[in-house]
Amino acid sequence: MIHISNILLALILLSVLLSLRSNRLMALVELMAFQGVMVSAVPLVLETAHGVTFNLILFFLLLVLVKGVLIPWLMYRAVKLVVVDREVEPIIGYNASLFAGLIMIVFSVYVTNNLHLNMLPMDHKLLLATAITTMGAGLILLMTRRKAITQVIGYLIMENGIYLIGTALAKQVHTQYVVEFAVLLDLIVAVLVMGIVLNDINHTFDDVDTTLMGQLKD
Amino acid sequence: MLQSVFLLPFLAGTAVFFLPVKSGRLLLLATALFHVLITALEWFQATGPLQTQYFANTPEGMLVLGIMSFLFLLISIYTVFYMAEVEMSKEPVFNASMLLFLGAMSMVAVADHIIMLWVAVEATTLMSAPLIFVHRSKESLEATWKYVLICSVGIALALLGSFFIIFSMEMSTVHVPISFSSFNDVADQLNTVWLKAGFIFIVIGYGTKMGLAPMHTWLPDAHSEAPSPASALLSGALLNCAFLGVYRCHQLMVGAGLGDYSGNVLIAFGLVSMLVSAVFILNQTDYKRMLAYSSIENMGIIAVGIGIGGIAAFAAMLHMIHHSLIKSSLFLTTGNILLGYGTKSIDRTRGMLRLFPETAITFFAGFAGISGFPPFGLFISELLIVMGAIKTGRYVVISIFIFCLILIFAGASRLVMQMVFSSRDSDERLVPEQWSRALPPIILLLTSLTLVLWMPDSLFLTIQHAISSIGGTVNG
Repeated sequence: MIHISNILLALILLSVLLSLRSNRLMALVELMAFQGVMVSAVPLVLETAHGVTFNLILFFLLLVLVKGVLIPWLMYRAVKLVVVDREVEPIIGYNASLFAGLIMIVFSVYVTNNLHLNMLPMDHKLLLATAITTMGAGLILLMTRRKAITQVIGYLIMENGIYLIGTALAKQVHTQYVVEFAVLLDLIVAVLVMGIVLNDINHTFDDVDTTLMGQLKD
Repeated sequence: MLQSVFLLPFLAGTAVFFLPVKSGRLLLLATALFHVLITALEWFQATGPLQTQYFANTPEGMLVLGIMSFLFLLISIYTVFYMAEVEMSKEPVFNASMLLFLGAMSMVAVADHIIMLWVAVEATTLMSAPLIFVHRSKESLEATWKYVLICSVGIALALLGSFFIIFSMEMSTVHVPISFSSFNDVADQLNTVWLKAGFIFIVIGYGTKMGLAPMHTWLPDAHSEAPSPASALLSGALLNCAFLGVYRCHQLMVGAGLGDYSGNVLIAFGLVSMLVSAVFILNQTDYKRMLAYSSIENMGIIAVGIGIGGIAAFAAMLHMIHHSLIKSSLFLTTGNILLGYGTKSIDRTRGMLRLFPETAITFFAGFAGISGFPPFGLFISELLIVMGAIKTGRYVVISIFIFCLILIFAGASRLVMQMVFSSRDSDERLVPEQWSRALPPIILLLTSLTLVLWMPDSLFLTIQHAISSIGGTVNG
């Protein structure tokens, strides 16, 4: 069982690094969908030690539906509708971002090893390192890309990372489905609201480049 | 039941979305009225929550809920008359978002489950976003984008902090439901390292929402671009909700014996916020931005007061109540100024005393209140914070605190004097004054005055209950 979870984590890491390197918005959305499915599968694989329950599978399906289908579809539509120029337009270059991602991996392994989490099983530690990397990469995407749409994708990747940290650390959260459902609902509404604002930004500014917005400052 | 306090606004808000404008306004007023009634019932604990796992009736939550409900009643009355003047094309969306926003904020006030609180705080961001970009101008779009993105990222960090706090329980030997009330009972057995890490992330996360510097950058934009009733609600009610999230965690830290640590963190963030607002308020050209920076300052004062503890904690709660009343009164008045002059520039709103005497008097009285002049409550709360700091020997903190207060007063009074008293050439009045729009801000100011002269026993006791868990007392 450990092997499956390791493969899963490796795939997540790969999707994170690819998302830092990718220069097309469409590729970024596809990567996000892939990552969403992988992230949803993590609790299913990790919790198998305690036995797979009906609720767990049901929740896995719901997560895949939201993180792997619904949200990527919304983003896909936004890219199709909104963006004329489908380049990502980074503020710092692709190679530099990729290098930052690699440093992020080293950093998160270092942090995980220094937390002295002896009570956690080994695969939880690997998961924690992956999760911190994912969160950090999301932040990098959020801060170093000009297009508003890439910022939303960065936010979603960061959210994936935080969800994984929660999975690695807090077991009780994942048995409270009402709460998890509420968190998911928030995420969907957030993407919807951001999508509406994105659409309006595009209409008003003829682009979703956030550097065009600089009216408000002191 | 406790849950009706947020279920009612949610249902009404959804209905207003589909109703025609006239009946939507009526439903807005009716819901505001019923919300006050339910809040009053909850305040005296006439009914209990249905399911205690996620929601609870706490004194600090009731304080926030009580202020919010009272403000919303007056703001909704104002909104109805304000909307009659501005002719907004998307008025049903605005009114519906107001109600949904009220629902999300009420949910924050009664949430007890750690993650449920997070869900509710994030919901407040999403529900209030349409309020800010309702004009769809370039500026309001920019403000909305900053607001949604900065707050969502900030609150995502608060989720991380919540996970850390939950993990501090799993690291120890106890197992309780993940709610603040049950965590408080076992606070001394929690893992301190993870609690500390969690608290930092919570302060950064909810602090973003509360407007603590240096995470405050969205606040002046959002407050200045939103229509005035929405600004009043953002400043008077939303910031308190975010503060409640920080306060709940501070209670937990005090229970775990880490009160000094979390108090110092709060004092540091509070002082930075005061300094930042003092610097930026000096050369403001927009009166709504000026008030927004004043909100950052006051949130800083509350954080400092809670951090010092003792009698200053009592003062901080008092400050929260009076700041909400006075600041929302000021924002409602700016709505009248904006209608009358058609501009947010301080330079072009001169001669208010002659052109709009009632508005000018309300605005100036509100300014006197917000800068802490004696007849208003902020004078007492700021004085008590200074006393509390001197009692605990924090002389450096209090020197910076007083320095910032003086700087902000000097900076803001110059601008306000210019707006109210200086002369103006043209006598052009876009929209004349109206009692229906002037009255709600006056009532808010009078409420603040009344609370100084006579505070109801039940309010006094609720404040005492709310601060007793962090060692705050009224007698020093």
